[in-house]
Amino acid sequence: MSDLAAQDRAAPAAGATPILLKSSEFRKAREASWRDLEGLVARVERRGILTLSAEELERLPLLYRAALSSLSVARSIALDRNLLLYLEGLAFRAFVVVYAPRTGLRRGTAAFLRRSFPAAVRAARWHLLLATLILLAGGIAGFLLVAADEAWFSSIVPTDYASGRGPGSTRQQLLDAEIFAPWPGPLRAFALAANFLLSHNTLIGIVTFALGVAAGVPTVLLLAYQGLVIGAFLALHVRRGLAVEFIGWIAIHGVTELTATLLCGAAGLVLAETVLFPGRHARLDNLALRGRSAAQIAVGAMILFFIAAVIEGGFRQLVSSTGLRFTVAAATGLLWLAYFVYAGRGRR
Amino acid sequence: MTAVQDRVAQFLEGRRRNRRDIVTPEGVPLPVEIASFGERVCAFALDLLICFSAIIIVLLLAVLLLGPLAKVRGVGLAAIGVLLLVAFIFRNFYFMHFELAWRGATPGKRLLGLRVIDRGGGALVPAAVVARNLTREIEAFLPLSLLLSVGGIGPTPWMRLALGAWLLLFGMLPLFNRDRLRAGDLIGGTLVVAVPRRVLLGDLVDAAPGYRFTDRQLRAYGAFELQILEELLRRPDSIDTRRVKREVCDKVCRRIAWPAAISDAAVEAFLRDFYTAERAWLEREQLLGKLHADKNAAGG
Repeated sequence: MSDLAAQDRAAPAAGATPILLKSSEFRKAREASWRDLEGLVARVERRGILTLSAEELERLPLLYRAALSSLSVARSIALDRNLLLYLEGLAFRAFVVVYAPRTGLRRGTAAFLRRSFPAAVRAARWHLLLATLILLAGGIAGFLLVAADEAWFSSIVPTDYASGRGPGSTRQQLLDAEIFAPWPGPLRAFALAANFLLSHNTLIGIVTFALGVAAGVPTVLLLAYQGLVIGAFLALHVRRGLAVEFIGWIAIHGVTELTATLLCGAAGLVLAETVLFPGRHARLDNLALRGRSAAQIAVGAMILFFIAAVIEGGFRQLVSSTGLRFTVAAATGLLWLAYFVYAGRGRR
Repeated sequence: MTAVQDRVAQFLEGRRRNRRDIVTPEGVPLPVEIASFGERVCAFALDLLICFSAIIIVLLLAVLLLGPLAKVRGVGLAAIGVLLLVAFIFRNFYFMHFELAWRGATPGKRLLGLRVIDRGGGALVPAAVVARNLTREIEAFLPLSLLLSVGGIGPTPWMRLALGAWLLLFGMLPLFNRDRLRAGDLIGGTLVVAVPRRVLLGDLVDAAPGYRFTDRQLRAYGAFELQILEELLRRPDSIDTRRVKREVCDKVCRRIAWPAAISDAAVEAFLRDFYTAERAWLEREQLLGKLHADKNAAGG
């Protein structure tokens, strides 16, 4: 300290030559383009990308890259904190705008249906097979249990889901109130039944999918349980000699609905696999990587649920011949098979 | 460099910001501020409020429009059908639609200045948005709707307890990781960040300085002190600011052994000139590869 003082005694000298700062010169040269970018980004943030003209849309990514390079330069030559923070903030805001999801809901949906959904399903075919086996196992167990002793029916099927059907039902009751029940009319069918079924089924589907995160245990249980319920119903009807009518009654929408259920189960199993066997990646990265395609399968399944709900709640009772019901079921089954096997292959 | 900025921010704001670097596709690391748990909860509550209000408005409209037709058979059913459908659409598509159309921000997030981004720094793809929002169903909607249902279909007390635990488990998940990720963020590979608005202020550099300093004097400080001084110089003028400036000026004079006394009127000009000279010197040193992080590292 003391020798500092000795050396710099004669320091103050007013009105000397100006100091030239590289960072200030740099800022002067680039500031206009930053302001330009800031204006564009602010407009997009307020009113959306569509407010930009074609020329501005072309300028935006160029200005964004210029701002990024400015940031890199500023980091190495400038010590102006405000400038650095401003550039970081600006670059990030522009980054969000430039790398935003470009597809709206409508165009995204088209691309999803044409390409990514069937591709994601094909990629998860082994999971789909496993889900099918679990559902089948549940179904066989449910069938055998109820076929041996009908008392099992009421412990497998919840009361409000059974809605009066059970060991006490006679063949005629099942035929009149269920399989060939009269059509309730368009309003009640579409407004209430289809709506309720849609909310109910999609909910179960989403839960089946998302709880795959818990190592897949809830997914497997839910799949097996749904199989159990179907098996129980089948046994109830078989014992009353209604096997063919019942299968026709359930297959007309069931082909679609079960496909959707299995897809949700397969998506859940994909999640479970990423959690249990992360492979080369960190568990978190792996989940992020595969979770998206699993979610695509689940969303596609929602669409299938929608179609199933329209068939089931809407006009199943309108088609009152078992033969016709089987025809519709076979047609939808073939349609889905063709869609998942062939759609979106090889094209980009 | 970022370390210096973090230190300055901590010194000025008194707490460490939860920050994280993402690397843009161009290869430039950008620091982002992770949205806090409170901000996330507020944004979600706002969005729920908007959803509920919209559903109630639809209900009122339906009552108004269909009121005169109340005698017609089936009108009540149609109204319930429409309501169910609207509720279904809001529950499933509100978040997805806005996060796609508004670049990762629902109205609630937008009000709080939050945004969803890709955790790896890539583009936010629709699949990620869909994935993070489907999971909302098991995280919040399903347990909430079950908890709120009353009467005959309402859950038993034990079920309520279990549902509460479920809600708590998923709700608290963001608190147990550094990036404040909820289950949907894990699956979608996304991150929710706060986007502060920063304004570019004028350059503090004084092109024609009145005071001159030698390299030896400038060696007394580093980048950390320079940026604290910058913050002080940018403060709006007040009695308090003037007092702090006076103190800082005295300290600087003592440290660099400035021979003359600085009058109160000259404090501002002196500090400004010192800032300019110090910054010029430090930036020159940095260009030559010598980074002086603070006064202790400067080795004066």
